[in-house]
Amino acid sequence: MLLVVCPHCGPRDAGDFHYLGATSPRPDPATVTEQAWRTYLHLRANVGGWQHETWYCRACRQHVVLERNTLTNEFRDPPVDPLGGVR
Amino acid sequence: MTTRRLPGAGAELNRDEPFTFCWNGAPVAGFSGDTVVSALLAGGHDVISRSMKYHRPRGVLTADYWDPNCMVQVGSEPNVRGAHRLAAPAMDVRAQNVWPSLRHDVKAANALVGRFLTAGFYYKTFMQPRALWPAYEHVLATFAPGGSVDLDAEPPRCDIRFAHPDVLVAGGGPAGMAAALAASRAGADVLLVDHGHRLGGHLRWGSGDDRARAAQLAAAVRAAGVEVLTDATVLGRYDGSWVGINQRTASGVWERLVKARAKCLVVAPGLIERPYVFAGNDHVGVMLSGAVRRLLNMYGVVPGERAVVFSANPDGAAAARDLRSAGVEVTVVDASTGVRLERVEGSRRRAQAAVLSDGRRLDADLIVTAIGWTAPTTLTNMAGDRPVYDEVSARFFPDRLPPDVLVAGGLAGDGSVDELVAHAHATGAMAARRGLTVRAQLRRATPRADPTVTSVPPDADEPVPLGRDPHPALFMAGSHGIVDYSEDVSSKDIVDAAAEGFDSVELVKRFTTSTMGPSQGKLETVNTVAVLAQELGTTIGRLGTTVWRPPYAPVSLGALAGRNDIPRRVSALQDWHDKHGAVPLHAGNWLRPDHYGDPAAEAANVRNAVGVIDVTPLGKLDLCGPDVADLLELVYVNRWRKLAVGAVRYGVMCTEDGIVMDDGVTARLADQRYLMTTTSSGAAAVWEWLERWLQQERPQWDVRVTPVTPAYTSINVAGPRSRELVAGLVDDIDVSPDGFPYMQVRTGTVAGVGDCVLLRIGFTGELSYELHVPAGFGLHVWEALLATGAALGIRPFGVEAQRILRLEKGHFIVGQDTDGLTRAASAGLGGLVKLDKADMVGRPELGWAAARTDLPMLVSILTDDPSVVPVEAAQIVEPGTNAIRGRITSSRMSPTLGRSVCLGQVDAALAHPGCALTIRLPGGAQVGARVHDQPAFVDPEGVRLRG
Amino acid sequence: MRRAGYRRAVPARERDEIVHRRGRGEGGLLIRRPARYSALGLLARGLTGRPWPRLWAQHELRRSYDVVIVGGGVHGLACAYYLAKEHGITNVAVVDKGWLGGGGSGRNTAILRSNYLTPEGIRFYDRSLQLYRAMSGELNFNVMFSQRGHLTLAHSDAALRTMRWRAEVNVLQGVSSCVVDADQVKALVPSLDVSPHTAHPIVGALYHPPGGTIRHDAVVWGYGRAAAALGVELHQQTEVGDIVVEGGDGPGGKGPGGRVTGVRTSRGDISAPVVVNCAAGWASTVAELAGVTLPITTTPLQAAVTEPVKVFLPAVVVSGSLHVYVSQTDRGELVFGAAVDPVATYSTRGSLEFVEGLASNIVQLMPGVARLRLLRQWAGLCDMTPDYSPVMGVTSVDGFFVDVGWGTYGFKAGPVSGEQMAACIATGRTPALIAPFDLARFTEDRLVGEKGAAAVGH
Repeated sequence: MLLVVCPHCGPRDAGDFHYLGATSPRPDPATVTEQAWRTYLHLRANVGGWQHETWYCRACRQHVVLERNTLTNEFRDPPVDPLGGVR
Repeated sequence: MTTRRLPGAGAELNRDEPFTFCWNGAPVAGFSGDTVVSALLAGGHDVISRSMKYHRPRGVLTADYWDPNCMVQVGSEPNVRGAHRLAAPAMDVRAQNVWPSLRHDVKAANALVGRFLTAGFYYKTFMQPRALWPAYEHVLATFAPGGSVDLDAEPPRCDIRFAHPDVLVAGGGPAGMAAALAASRAGADVLLVDHGHRLGGHLRWGSGDDRARAAQLAAAVRAAGVEVLTDATVLGRYDGSWVGINQRTASGVWERLVKARAKCLVVAPGLIERPYVFAGNDHVGVMLSGAVRRLLNMYGVVPGERAVVFSANPDGAAAARDLRSAGVEVTVVDASTGVRLERVEGSRRRAQAAVLSDGRRLDADLIVTAIGWTAPTTLTNMAGDRPVYDEVSARFFPDRLPPDVLVAGGLAGDGSVDELVAHAHATGAMAARRGLTVRAQLRRATPRADPTVTSVPPDADEPVPLGRDPHPALFMAGSHGIVDYSEDVSSKDIVDAAAEGFDSVELVKRFTTSTMGPSQGKLETVNTVAVLAQELGTTIGRLGTTVWRPPYAPVSLGALAGRNDIPRRVSALQDWHDKHGAVPLHAGNWLRPDHYGDPAAEAANVRNAVGVIDVTPLGKLDLCGPDVADLLELVYVNRWRKLAVGAVRYGVMCTEDGIVMDDGVTARLADQRYLMTTTSSGAAAVWEWLERWLQQERPQWDVRVTPVTPAYTSINVAGPRSRELVAGLVDDIDVSPDGFPYMQVRTGTVAGVGDCVLLRIGFTGELSYELHVPAGFGLHVWEALLATGAALGIRPFGVEAQRILRLEKGHFIVGQDTDGLTRAASAGLGGLVKLDKADMVGRPELGWAAARTDLPMLVSILTDDPSVVPVEAAQIVEPGTNAIRGRITSSRMSPTLGRSVCLGQVDAALAHPGCALTIRLPGGAQVGARVHDQPAFVDPEGVRLRG
Repeated sequence: MRRAGYRRAVPARERDEIVHRRGRGEGGLLIRRPARYSALGLLARGLTGRPWPRLWAQHELRRSYDVVIVGGGVHGLACAYYLAKEHGITNVAVVDKGWLGGGGSGRNTAILRSNYLTPEGIRFYDRSLQLYRAMSGELNFNVMFSQRGHLTLAHSDAALRTMRWRAEVNVLQGVSSCVVDADQVKALVPSLDVSPHTAHPIVGALYHPPGGTIRHDAVVWGYGRAAAALGVELHQQTEVGDIVVEGGDGPGGKGPGGRVTGVRTSRGDISAPVVVNCAAGWASTVAELAGVTLPITTTPLQAAVTEPVKVFLPAVVVSGSLHVYVSQTDRGELVFGAAVDPVATYSTRGSLEFVEGLASNIVQLMPGVARLRLLRQWAGLCDMTPDYSPVMGVTSVDGFFVDVGWGTYGFKAGPVSGEQMAACIATGRTPALIAPFDLARFTEDRLVGEKGAAAVGH
C-alpha cells in the first residue's frame, strides 16, 4: 500500500485516494480540432519515470496533483517527504 | 532401525504432558512441545511422505518449516509443515499424495521409467491423437502433489489487525532480538516477529549455553516492552514500507493478518542451510546438520545409529559432537581435506552407506551434510535490492537497500554470537533513529497535527560491518542428485534443460519447475543456479539468482481474507421490508426490496390506486453556493440557468467523450441551494465528478457539494390517488394541481416531520411525489403513508414493479439501456443537448455526434406477438444472414397493457417508427417486432403524470 | 514490404537436425527441422541417453534483417513464425531485453476463451482458439491446452443480462456459450457456494465450454522452436535503445511521415525496413522511440498461485463483479488473477492489498479453500487502452508496425495476432480480422465496444 501525502490531510494509505492518472490540460472546447480533442481524450505519454498526476483524496475531497516516479513509485516534493530526511 | 527419544534431552518438550495423536489412523505418542514430525520420528516413523514424481519414500531433511519432505494433512488442512506444526492431543495427521498407503504406493513404479520422464517430458509427447489429450491430462493431474481441500469444512475464523511500530524486526534470533532490544532502548516502539514458536533462532538448537543466551536475550526483549509475535511470518515488505505479517498462532482466531507501516524494517531472518546435491541425497536418513541438531537438542530425538557427517563448517562439527554425545557412532568427513561425499546408497526404506570421493564406502543409516547456507533475501528483494554473490563466503548478500531497510545477523555477515549481537545492537539503534525520524516527519507532514514530536535520539556511529567468513563453494558432488525435493527435479534435469537451450535461470526454472514448489526456492534456488552455472561454464555471480517473490512463507487464504464480513448498505426501512416479506435484491452495495410477492400486482396497483417504494439508494447531493447554476450548465447537457426556485428539471450527464454517464433530476430549493439526484450506482462517482470539475477546471466558482444520500429516507408515492394520500399528511404545502404542479419541488412537514423535500416527478409515469425525509423519521413517515393510504388501496411496491412501470412509460436506465459507447443522441436525448452553450463536459464530442446519422438509437419496440417477452439481451438480427442489427435492452410483460413491451438499441437505419425488426430469441427462434411510434407505451401524452 | 530476394542460410548446428535442402529463390532456403518430439523419441533418448538438441540456436547479431520484432513473447514469436511459415520471410530477428516469454507471456494466468462481447472481438479470439487447438500438432510441442470450460459468474440481474448479451452474440458468431442458472453452476463446479444468503449470491453464469487453460510457457517455447527451425533468429538479452526513423515530422526526423530504417540495440545496430513493436508493458516506450504516441496506460495486473492440492476444480471460474478468476493447474495449484491495479505503474513488485482482496473474494465463492495457502504472487504489465481492445497494424511511421495495447487479454490473442500481423507486414494490406483494431480509430471515433464486458475480462 503506497503512502500518499495529501497536502491537506497528511500521509494516508493509497486506498484512501482515487488515482486519476497523468494530468492533461483540457483544450478549449470552442476551438479544438477533432485530432486535438481525441489526443486529449485517448493518447497518453505513459511516461516511465517522473510524471505529474491527479489523486483524489477521499478524506478531504480534494484533487491533488503529485509528482510520482512510475518506475519506482516514489513521490517527489510532496509538502514534506515522509522518508526524505533519511534518504 | 527405529529412532528413539534421548532421556532428559529436548529443550522444547514438557515431559509432564504426554499425549497421543493419530498418524494415518494409528496412535503416536508425543509430548507437549513436540512437532508432528519430531513425535513421528521418536515413534520410529521415518518415512513421512512420498516424492511428487517417482513417489520415492522421503524422511526428514531439514526438520524445520522449510522441510520439503514433511508436508502432511492435518484434519481439513492440507500441506501442513509437519516439522514446524506442534503436535496436539487427538490431532488427525495423514500422509499426503500416497495411494493406497504411505508404505505401499503404486506410483513408486514411476521410478522404473524415470529415465524417460525427464524434465518437461510432457511437452514432447501426448500430442497424438489430439482427441486423447484430455485422457492424458487426466492421468497427469493425478500426479498433483499435496493434500486435499475439504470443501465441506467450515471456514476458520480469522482476523486482521493494524500495528504501528517505529521499528519492525523480522526474525527473532540473537541478531533480531538484539536489534529489537537496542531499538526499544532508544525509544522506538518495536514489533519483533519470529517464524518459530519461540524466540532464539539458531540458538534454540545449539548448545546449553546457546539456549541460555537465547533465554536471556528473550527475557530482556520482553522486559524492554518490545511486542513479540511468534509463529508469525513477515510475508513481505511492499511499496511504502507496508508490511504484512501472518500470525499462525493468535488468540481468539485461527490465524491473523497483521499489517504495519514499518517506519524502519530490520531484516534478520538468519540463514537457511542448503542441501548438497549428490546421488541418493533423498534417501531417508540423509539430513542437514541443522535437522540433526534440532531433533537432538530441541526434541531429544536421536535420528540414527551410525552417522557420516560431511562437514565444511562449524555447524557440521557441532552436529557430529551432538550426535556423539547422544551415543551415535560418527564418522566425520571434513570437506577441507578435499574429500567429497560422492553418493549415498540405500534401500527403499533407508540410507545404508556413504561413498566418498576417495573410494571409501562407510556404512551408515544417517548421512549428515553441512555444506553452507542460503541467504533468504525475499524481503530485501522486495525493497528493490538484487543480491550479489560473494565468492569467498559462497553465498548471496543484499547489495543496495533503501534507508528504511536494515539487515542484521547472517544476512549481514558472519561472526560469533557476541559479534552478531553487537552488530545487531548498533543496527537496532540506527533503526530506532531512522524509525523515529520517519515518525517525526510523518507527523510534520500532517497539517493540524500536534506539533510536538517525539525526540529523535542523537546520531551514533554506523554499525561496524560484520565480516564474511570464507566458506568452500560446495553445491554438487560428482554425481547427479535431487535439487528440488518438492518437485522431484534432479541436477540431471537442469543439465538437460540447459542443453536444450533453457540457459538462463528463469527459463530453466520454468522448464524444470525447480524452485516452484512449496518451499519457494529457500532450499533449491542457489543449487539450481550453481548446477546451471557449472553446466554453462560460468559463475553463480554472473548468472545471478531468481527474484524471490512474496510471500516469504505461504499464507492461508483465510488469514488474508480476515473476517470477510462484507458490509451492506440498507435504508432505514430495511427491517420493515424484511418483516413484510420483501424478496431482497442485491444492487451494488445496497440491499433493496425486489418485490413483496407479486410485482405485477404491485405495478397494477400503482396504475390503479397508489403505491409506495423505498428509493433511498437514489444518489442525493446537496449543492449550495452562488455558482450552482453554472456548475449544472457545465456537467449536464441541457440548460439550467433559468431554473426557478421551486422548480425541478431532468438532466443527463456525459463524460468528455460524449458517452452518457448518469442522469437524474435536480431541484432548486432556494436561491443558492439545489438538491441533485443521481442514479443509485452513480452516486459516489457523480459526487467526485462534480468536485473534479469544480476544483480542476472552475476553481473560481463557489459551490459546496455535500452527499446526503443516507441522510434522507427517500420514498416515492405513485399512483392516481397519491395526491389524496400526500394531502392527508402535509399541512404546510398546497398539493393542489396548481399549487404544486408537475416538475416542482416543495419543502415542508410530512406526517409531522419537518424539513422534508417533496419532488413532483414521475419515473413510473404516474402522478407521483418523491419524498425525502430525514432518515431518522423515515420509518415513521413510511408507516404513516401506509396507514393513511389504507383507505386508498395503498400497497408497497419493489424495484421489479418500478422497472415494469418505467418501461411502460419508455423511460430508460443508464447502464442498462445505454452502454459504454452510448452517446446522448443515441439514447434519444438529442433534443436535450444544448450545443449553443459556451462549454459543457463533452461538448466537442456531442457536437460531432449530433452531425452523425449512423449512430445506433434507443427505441421502443413492440413484438408482433404480444405474448412474447424477448429476454433482455436478445439480439435484433437481419433475417436470413443473422447479422446483428441491435439488441433488446429492457423487456417486460406489461400488466397495464396486457402485452409485452421492450426498449432496444438498433442500427440507425432501423430507428424509425413502424420499422419491422426481427428478434432472435435464445435457442434460435425468431420473432417479428416493430419500432413503436412513441417512446412511451402507456400514457404517451403524459396526462397521468401531469394531472 | 520489400521481399528480400535472397535468404541467408543459417549456420548449421547438429548434423541430425538438417533434414533436407530445398531450392527456393536465389540462393536456396535451408530448411532445418528440429528433432521431432514423440513418445518414441522420448523412449529412444531415454534408452540411449542422447540429449535433445537445443530448441533454438544462439547467433551473433547481424547488421541487417528484413524484419526486426521487438519483444520475444508469444506475440513476437508467433509473428516471426507466421512470417517465415506463411510468407517465406525468414530473415527475421526477434529481440528481447530479457529472456523469451519473460514478460506478459510468462506472467499471465494462461486462460483461453473467445466469449467476447463484440462480433469483431469474438471472431478474432475464436480464430486464436482454433490456432491454439491445433497448436500442439502444428508446432510438435505439447502446449497442454485443456478445454475444461469457462464460467463467468453473475451476482446480479444486471450481470446476468450482460452474460446473456455475450452468449447471444457468441452464438451468432458460432461460438459455444450459454447462460446457466445457479444449480447448473453448482453441478459444474461443486466447490462454489451458490446459496442465496452469501454477500454476493451466484444467480447464474455464462458458460463457455471451449474455454480453458494452457501451459503458457510451452506456447512461447513452441513458437520459438518452430520459428528458429525456419531460420528466424532469437536474440535474448538484447535491448532496443532506439529506433531509427528518417523523414518524419517530429524531432530527430521521427514521427508521422517518417520511415523506419533500423534499430539500435545493446548488442549493436541493425538496419531493417520493418520494425514490429510487440513489447507488451513497454509498448509506449518503444513506440516513443519511433515518435509514435499510443492510447495506452501501463498498469500492473497481479496474479497468485496457491500450494498444490488434489485436483478439485474442474473449470475456469471468473467473477466479474468480484474481480477474481481462478483455475486449477494439472499440478494442483490454484491460479488466481484479478482486475488491474488501481494505480498505473511500471513496477511489478505487487501489493499486499491485492492478495487480501483476492482471498476475500475467493473465500466468499469457495469457503472450503480458506485453509489453503497462497504460495507466490507476481505482477505483469498491461497496456490498457480506452476501449479494452488492442492496437494493431500500421502507424504513421512507414515500416513501424504495432501489435500492442493488449490489456489483460494478450496471451489469448497470441497466435491470431502473430498470424494476422505477419499477413499485414508481408502483404502490405491490413487483414479484415484486425482492421477494427487500427490505431487511427482513436482519432476517428471508431472505438470498439468491448469495454462493456471487460470489467474483468478473463
